[in-house]
Amino acid sequence: MRHVRGFDVARPLSIGMLVLMMLPLVFLPLLSIFIFGTSNGLDKFLSALTAPEAIFALKLSIATSFWATVFNVIFGLFAAYVLSRYNFWGRNALIVTISLPTAIPTAVAGFALLLLWGPYGTLGRFLAPQGVQIMFTAGAIILANIFVTFPLAFGVIKPVFDTMSRSLEEASATIGATRWQTFWHVTLPSLRGAIVSGALLTFARAVGEFGSTILVSGNLAGRTQTAPLYIFAKFNEGQIEAANAIAIVLALFSFLIFSVLFFARDWLDVD
Amino acid sequence: MRAKEKLIEDFGVKQPRGGVVPSAASVVGVSKRFGKTSILENISFDVAEGEALVLLGASGSGKTTILRIIAGLEQPYTGKVILHGKDVTELPARERGVGVIFQSYALFPKMTVEKNIGYGLRIRKRKRKEIKQTVNELLSLVQLEEHRKKYPSQLSGGQQQRVAIARTLAYNPEVLLFDEPFGALDTQTRTHLRREIRALLRKVNVPAIFITHDQEEALELGDRVAVINRGHIEQIGTPFEIYNQPATEYVATFLGAANLLDGTVRNGLIEVGSGKLQAKLDPNRFKDGDSVRVVFRPEDVTLSKTDFARPGHVKIATARVAEITFVGAYERLRLLFDRPEDSSSEDDAYYLTTDVPERAKTASIIATRPKPEASATKLQIGDRVVIGLNSFTVLPTSQQKQDVKEK
Repeated sequence: MRHVRGFDVARPLSIGMLVLMMLPLVFLPLLSIFIFGTSNGLDKFLSALTAPEAIFALKLSIATSFWATVFNVIFGLFAAYVLSRYNFWGRNALIVTISLPTAIPTAVAGFALLLLWGPYGTLGRFLAPQGVQIMFTAGAIILANIFVTFPLAFGVIKPVFDTMSRSLEEASATIGATRWQTFWHVTLPSLRGAIVSGALLTFARAVGEFGSTILVSGNLAGRTQTAPLYIFAKFNEGQIEAANAIAIVLALFSFLIFSVLFFARDWLDVD
Repeated sequence: MRAKEKLIEDFGVKQPRGGVVPSAASVVGVSKRFGKTSILENISFDVAEGEALVLLGASGSGKTTILRIIAGLEQPYTGKVILHGKDVTELPARERGVGVIFQSYALFPKMTVEKNIGYGLRIRKRKRKEIKQTVNELLSLVQLEEHRKKYPSQLSGGQQQRVAIARTLAYNPEVLLFDEPFGALDTQTRTHLRREIRALLRKVNVPAIFITHDQEEALELGDRVAVINRGHIEQIGTPFEIYNQPATEYVATFLGAANLLDGTVRNGLIEVGSGKLQAKLDPNRFKDGDSVRVVFRPEDVTLSKTDFARPGHVKIATARVAEITFVGAYERLRLLFDRPEDSSSEDDAYYLTTDVPERAKTASIIATRPKPEASATKLQIGDRVVIGLNSFTVLPTSQQKQDVKEK
């Protein structure tokens, strides 16, 4: 290839190729959501969005994802603490197990939960006679969300724990702090960034969860139908505008979360 | 009873605690093992109120482990740690009230300077007003008033260290423990900070234990120095004692340059080759025929061009100047003892041999002379000089020690 002084041909070429590759794979599909969603006018879009079932689905998604996030951040924090502070037999096995849900198909995760908690499941069959039914409720959706987002917060928090200097905690102890005071005043502030990004990742992933939710929720409109299930149901019924309206909301939502993650990096890592 | 949490103005007016004043901190018979490896063997020492003790040793000598045991960050295998008369061996770190200044300073990165300093009082649930007052006093003590709102990452190494010290002084510590306090700093800052810390310690009158591998630092910082080697104390004493009267060869060689000559005890004199040294020998320690090692520092060597050593100095031999190096404040000379080949018969009395094989052929010693002396008596390579010793130490050879152990 011929070189002009100070001009690297590979640069514009490779950037152009990257954008070209992403066009049919990511950009155009996202764009079509917005084009179709608003093609019948803004009124149609707004009325599709404000349909009671649509609003319910969005609220349910946000609520179930919120609780799954709360649980997984606390759990991830605890697991990261235990697994980076103590060395014990089976430690690596535990780390692998926590990370496993990333690799398990979400439909399998939902199915596994059904086999455990369903009316005829391993545990469920003892609960059913007591009138306790976990599956096909909002609780089941939270359980499924917890399962599939299990390793996300842990994965972000653990490396920060690993690189944290032990002498900070030792200093705090010699100054007279209890373990809890040390955790609260010294350890936790250093984890702030990891906790926020872990929470955002978990929440984003949970809001979009489909495969496991459709199995455990029963997909009952207005009762256990989350936003992604609503899109699927409306599409099957041929109500493209209804599906499209929610799709736009979810797409914007994930765009927002990842913008925060990307642009607030400096703030999250601030020392 | 010792009020453990007095305010800063009380520093320097320690009340004697009923009759005999116990030492501020004692380590009694401490040993430590990791698995089957012995890290520390029977370590014992006391630190008096307001005293600075330096634990000096090479890396891996176990000195850091001693510090961590005093702080409660590690448990001894046997032995006790006593702080102001109270046995704290079983107490966790947070109940001991010791101040540790970590090598990395371990300042809390998300807290400002004043938050760092006030931390010990905040977790003790002190009143806001009291915390503010103490923090202000400490900030002025360590001269960091204008940096109070800064974060540790915005401070220089020396400033961070001062924050670390102030942070421990806030809760009036039983003893201050410094872990390689100047390891992370450049030479110039080091020297400056050493003096600063000495002055600060004198002001607050808190006993301190320093850990270092730097002999110069140990001599300058310590009221006393304990030389640690392979988990045991080789010698403990004032800087003057350990430098000038080393108890073991390790101490002699670890604290700066030392010349070693092998000799034998004969009729109360020490025979070094064909030379004879007059020495006051402890009859309980040395018997006729014992092999000994004569240890002396380069600056204890005096050189004269006449046939006699200077008055008051012990003459050991004649030698030839083999090398002269100019080292700034002084001159360093390498001296070769006369060899039979190049010595005439009348010089035979000064001929020295050493029992160390590797030194037998090139028996040489190092001498240093301060500038005035060097310019008063100019010496050149090849000059013959009489070597006198200002002072020296006689040690049993390590060979003998091993024999004793084997018996």
